[in-house]
Amino acid sequence: MERKDVTTAVAENSYFRGLFGVLGGLLMILSALGNAGWGPFEHDTAFIAGLAVLGAGALGLNRYYNDRYGRSRPTIRHHRRMAVAMFVGAPAVFLGSLLLSSRASWSLNLPLNTIAISMALVMLMVGGATVGLRMHHLIVFGALLVAGLLPVWEREGMSGNTGLWMAGVALIVSGLLDHRLLVRRFGPVREDDRA
Amino acid sequence: MPEDDFALDRLIHEPGRLAILTVLTSVADADFVFLQRTTGLTKGNLSSHLTKLEDAGLVEIEKRFVHKKPNTNVTLTKEGATRIARHWAQLERLRGLADTERTT
Repeated sequence: MERKDVTTAVAENSYFRGLFGVLGGLLMILSALGNAGWGPFEHDTAFIAGLAVLGAGALGLNRYYNDRYGRSRPTIRHHRRMAVAMFVGAPAVFLGSLLLSSRASWSLNLPLNTIAISMALVMLMVGGATVGLRMHHLIVFGALLVAGLLPVWEREGMSGNTGLWMAGVALIVSGLLDHRLLVRRFGPVREDDRA
Repeated sequence: MPEDDFALDRLIHEPGRLAILTVLTSVADADFVFLQRTTGLTKGNLSSHLTKLEDAGLVEIEKRFVHKKPNTNVTLTKEGATRIARHWAQLERLRGLADTERTT
């Protein structure tokens, strides 16, 4: 038995609960719909109702995963790593993306999709800091990064919304693949296995 | 190297118990289902190993109810953390020694 195999299994069981990623993707798409004021999302109440549905979904998913794959609490060391990734790394990426294309006077004003770039970098960074990146993360978020870097995006208007859509779809695809990996790796728990 | 360094802790060296304790070094605590999924042990085997580890003072077991269902939560004790760390260090030393002998 290798120590690393066991610690990798712990990380996979904790972080490949990919249906949460699907909810995150739906949240991004919901935000894009809200920004565009599409159909019922012309009214704020539709957006808030959507948030409530996603929140309820998150609670249900938490229970589903805990019942089937168990509960664990991360160590303090792990909390620190996540905090650094979230509160130092993510803001750095977003500020960098603002510098690339913001309309502010100090911007480089490049025709890039900064939402897509930021989300791809944040997801790659968080994945790398927690469970480690798998091939599908590199393909999905790498494709999102490349799409965002293509110099085809308008500097004003709806490219931000398109970025939200692309990031949402990337999160959904990656989340489904994470979930498939979790199920294949650990299998469903049998009723008589619970204690 | 002192001879004691080669004497492995038999309680911990058993693969199932080694896996359980190693999982518990990576988390603050974990419940029965998490340990079972992650180690791949059957319910009976896991129960039996946990009892032995609890009797030896290496883990603490808390029986509780979560959403009205029974839930068993397991935490590594300080003694458990020390012994599993020492055990892995011993294994690494033995592996290093074997590698050195193979190359000479």
